[in-house]
Amino acid sequence: MRKSLFLVGLLLAATAAQAQILPFLAKRGPQQPVVQGIDALRADFAAQAGGTTVYYGLGSAILGAPAKAVLTAQAAWIRRHPDVVVRVEGFGDGGDTRDHALAVGARRAAEARDYLVLLGVPSAQVTTSSWGNERSGLGRAVTVLVR
Amino acid sequence: MTRKALFGGLALAAMSLGSAAQAQQPAPAVIAVPPLTSPDSGTRGNEMLQVGWEATQLIASDLGQTTELAPLKPNRDDYYSYPEVTAPMFSKWRQKANVLLTGFVQSRSDGRLTIGCYVYDVDKGRELARKGFVIAPSDWRRAAHKCSGLAYTAVTGAPGSFDSRIAYVAETGTGDAKVRRVAVMDSDGNNYRLVTAGDAMVLSPSLSPKAARLAYVSLAEGKPTVRLRDLGSGQERPLVTADAISFAPRFSPDGSRIAFSMMLGPNSDIYVVGADGGLPQRLTASPAVDTDPSFSPDGSKIVFESDRSGSQQIYVMNADGSGERRISFGQGAYASPEWSPDGQWIAFTHRGPYGRRIGVMKADGTGERMLTMGPSDEGPSWAANSRELLFQRTAVGGHNHLYRIALDGGEARQVKIPQDGSDPDWSGAMD
Repeated sequence: MRKSLFLVGLLLAATAAQAQILPFLAKRGPQQPVVQGIDALRADFAAQAGGTTVYYGLGSAILGAPAKAVLTAQAAWIRRHPDVVVRVEGFGDGGDTRDHALAVGARRAAEARDYLVLLGVPSAQVTTSSWGNERSGLGRAVTVLVR
Repeated sequence: MTRKALFGGLALAAMSLGSAAQAQQPAPAVIAVPPLTSPDSGTRGNEMLQVGWEATQLIASDLGQTTELAPLKPNRDDYYSYPEVTAPMFSKWRQKANVLLTGFVQSRSDGRLTIGCYVYDVDKGRELARKGFVIAPSDWRRAAHKCSGLAYTAVTGAPGSFDSRIAYVAETGTGDAKVRRVAVMDSDGNNYRLVTAGDAMVLSPSLSPKAARLAYVSLAEGKPTVRLRDLGSGQERPLVTADAISFAPRFSPDGSRIAFSMMLGPNSDIYVVGADGGLPQRLTASPAVDTDPSFSPDGSKIVFESDRSGSQQIYVMNADGSGERRISFGQGAYASPEWSPDGQWIAFTHRGPYGRRIGVMKADGTGERMLTMGPSDEGPSWAANSRELLFQRTAVGGHNHLYRIALDGGEARQVKIPQDGSDPDWSGAMD
C-alpha cells in the first residue's frame, strides 16, 4: 500500500557514504532507484500548474478562460511527467438531487479531461470521477495526482 | 368487493363526522387483536401461547404503523378457545371494533409451527380473509407480518408491506469524514445488518423485488460504479464491465433487469442490462443528463428524469427506449421519479425556491401535489402497498435521517435506525 504512494523517479547510484547519511536508502541497497514521494510531486504539480482546481458556473460544465489557463498549465506539467496518472474529480452543485449532481460532477470532470487531452496529454494518463454533492467544495473539478 | 365496501363504509362514516380536513383522510378502521390461541395443551400449549402473544403484539404494532387501521391494545384477558378462532363472539367486540383478527399457533410433529390467521367484519359478523403458514419456529415474526398484511389487505384492498425489507446508506460522522455503509433491515427495524465494509463511499442501494439481491454504487474503484451483490452468499460483481461511471440502479419489477445511468463520455444516458449479465442496452440518446430510471409495475415502461429542456423534468418511455414523452411541466426541477407498485403514481423530489420537497403525481403527469414541506427532503421510495413513502430528510448540521409519510398526507414520521441514514429503498413484500 505504502509503495504505491511513491513515484519512481530518476535512478541514482548511491555510495556507501550517501547510504550512511540516508539510512532510509541504505536499506533499499545501492542499486535501488530513488523515489520521490507523491506528496512532493503533488506540491510541485500544484505550484507549477497554478492550482489543481478549476471552477464552473452554476449548473454549467463550460470551461471559462481562467479554467482553461489552469488546465493548460496542468497539461504542460503532466506531459513532462509521462509516468504519472491523474484523476479529474468533478463536483456538483449544492441543493441538487443526488444523481443529477453526480452526473453534473462527472460531466465537469469529462470536460476538463477532454481539454487536457486536446492539449496533448495522452488519454491513458487521465481518468475521471465524480463526487456529486456528497463532498464539500461544490461547483468545481479538481485534478488529483493518483500515481 | 367486501373489503372495498367495508373501507368505503368506514370512510363515509368518517366524512359525516365533520370538517373537510377530516374528510381528506378517512378515519382508521378499529381492529381488535386479542391474543392468538393454541389447540395444544400442557407445557407445549403454554409455549405456543407465548409465541402467539408475541406475534399478537407484533401484529398490533404493524397495524398501528398504518393510517388505515387502528388496533386496540392487545390484552391477555381477551383469551379465547381454539374453536372460537373460526366462530368468534362478535357481540363482545361490536361496541369496540370494526374488524377482528383471530388466530392460533400450533406445534407440528416435524418441529415446525402452523400459524393461522382469520380476519372478520365485526358489524356484519362475517369472515373477510384467512391464511395459514407453516414455518420454522424462528420465523414467527415473518408469519406475524403476513397476518398483519392479511388484515391490511382485507380492509384496504392494497397489499401489505409488513414483511418487506429496507436498504439505506448508514452514515456515521459528518462532512467529508462521513463513513457510509449499505445497511439492510426488515421494515420493522429487525434483522438489521451492515452489508458493506465502510472503506469506500457508497450510494443508492436498490433491492431486488424479494430483497435477494442488492445493487448499489461504490466509489471503491476511484469512480462511481454500480455493483451487484447476492445478499445470501455475499458474492458481488460490477454490474457492467465497461470502464465507465455508472450510478442510479433500479431493478425491474420481476427482478430480471436493472436500469441505470452510465456515462461513456461526458453525458449520462439510461441503460438496461440483465440482472444475470449480458450486454447493456442504451435507452436514451439525448445530450442532456438522463438519470434516475424507475420501472412501471408491469415492466413495460420506465420513468426517468432529464434536463434536456433546460431544467430537470420527468419523462416516460417504453422499456426499449421508444416513445419518450415528458409528463412534468411545472416550475422548478423535478427529480428522482419512482413509479408506485400499483402503477397509479409517480413520486418525485421537487426543487424550488423553498428547497427540496417530496411530491406525487398521477402516472400520466396530472394531479400533482406536494407531500412534504421540505426544505431538504429527497429520494422517495414506495412501500409495497403504494400508500406510503420512505425518503431522506437532511437536518440542520448535515445529519441525514429517514422518514416515512402516508400518501394521504399527515405528518412525516422518523424511522428509527441505529445511526444517521440516507437514500432509502423499500423492497416489495417477501414471499
